[in-house]
Amino acid sequence: MAKMIVASSSSCKTQIPPPLSAPKPKQQPQSLPQATLPLPKLRLPKPLASLPTKSLPLLAAASSALLAHPLPALAEEVEKASLFDFNLTLPIIMGEFLLLMFALDKIYFSPLGNFMDKRDAEIKEKLSSVKDTSQEVKQMEEQAAAVMRAARAEISAALSKMKKETQAELEQKLSEGRRKVEAELQEALAKLESQKEETMKALDSEIAVLSQDIVNKVLPTK
Amino acid sequence: MNVLSCSTNTLKGLYDISGVEVGQHFYWQIGGFQVHGQVLITSWVVIAILLGSASIAVRNPQTIPNDSQNFFEYVLEFIRDVSKTQIGEEYGPWVPFIGTMFLFIFVSNWSGALLPWKIIELPHGELAAPTNDINTTVALALLTSVAYFYAGLTKKGLSYFSKYIQPTPILLPINILEDFTKPLSLSFRLFGNILADELVVVVLVSLVPLVVPIPVMFLGLFTSGIQALIFATLAAAYIGESMEGHH
Repeated sequence: MAKMIVASSSSCKTQIPPPLSAPKPKQQPQSLPQATLPLPKLRLPKPLASLPTKSLPLLAAASSALLAHPLPALAEEVEKASLFDFNLTLPIIMGEFLLLMFALDKIYFSPLGNFMDKRDAEIKEKLSSVKDTSQEVKQMEEQAAAVMRAARAEISAALSKMKKETQAELEQKLSEGRRKVEAELQEALAKLESQKEETMKALDSEIAVLSQDIVNKVLPTK
Repeated sequence: MNVLSCSTNTLKGLYDISGVEVGQHFYWQIGGFQVHGQVLITSWVVIAILLGSASIAVRNPQTIPNDSQNFFEYVLEFIRDVSKTQIGEEYGPWVPFIGTMFLFIFVSNWSGALLPWKIIELPHGELAAPTNDINTTVALALLTSVAYFYAGLTKKGLSYFSKYIQPTPILLPINILEDFTKPLSLSFRLFGNILADELVVVVLVSLVPLVVPIPVMFLGLFTSGIQALIFATLAAAYIGESMEGHH
């Protein structure tokens, strides 16, 4: 495979002159007369037909660039200039790539990949554990509800008990007060009665005197 | 002639900042072999960006991620998603390969569009995205080939090769050809797209230095991302294809 490509490339060492090679501005005056030529000197010593088709667009692009601005393009000595020039660069790049692959695997792909996998696993685990605890949560909620119910019952019992107690106390005090008031009333009535009798007795004696007086006044003939 | 010389002078400054250098390379010699220095330099920068940002963001992972960690987690999940949809349940061991493929190509492509490489001047050639060079793309494509052969062989042993005569032995040549066309298409698609993209931007900048290239630059960013995704997805698809059971 490689040999094939190398063979094809060695057969077509095209020598494309650098169309706009910058570092040779001094040659411009000499190269100017040539610039009027319709086609600049494209030195292709080997048959053009042997070029791989892939390089033809490149050549076309280069030559069109030359046509547009043919100025310093005609540098006289072009050393080796070839697109398909295989050499030791190829195996060196292969080695560099393999080294890069191992290095990147060591510092990037493996550590970060393992880290991400571990994190994913952790998150999944946490999620599933959360799903498992939902039953626990339900149980606890039920417990809490039971506790609340018990507490409520206790409170209402205590409340009613307290109510009863206070009512009984109230009634007791009420009846006590009533009894007291009744006793006082009785006493007052009794006093009133005795006073009445006393005044009646006093009145009786006065009545006798008064009647004597009346009789004396009415009957003057005595 | 006058007009031309006039335009030469006025436009000369523009060429200094926007030179098109196709197929120019900054050669280094290593033990008698030549390498493309500019590709290696930019690939080192890309690798440094990737390793640095990743190590900073993932240094101390938090359960509740902070911003940078969040971004990297998002990227990792994206990569895992891509590999899972293409490979299937056994995608785990392939995440580093697919992920590095995606990140390397993506950061390479975007570095070509976003980093001001032109500031650094090379004696020859210029700095650009590493995926701008055929060596890089072919290297990645060949690694993909090796990867899917490895995946198939480890999963099924030698019976992996029986897929070449599925569904009928008549398709044997086509099945064998596929093993060549896969890396070829992978590498050339990436290479062509990125190179063409940078060329279009450079040419447009040299023609009209203001405003006009901006939409093309954004298009370039878009295609760069898409190319990285396509490469990684196709690599994953090839691996998955060679691992899946057939009858």
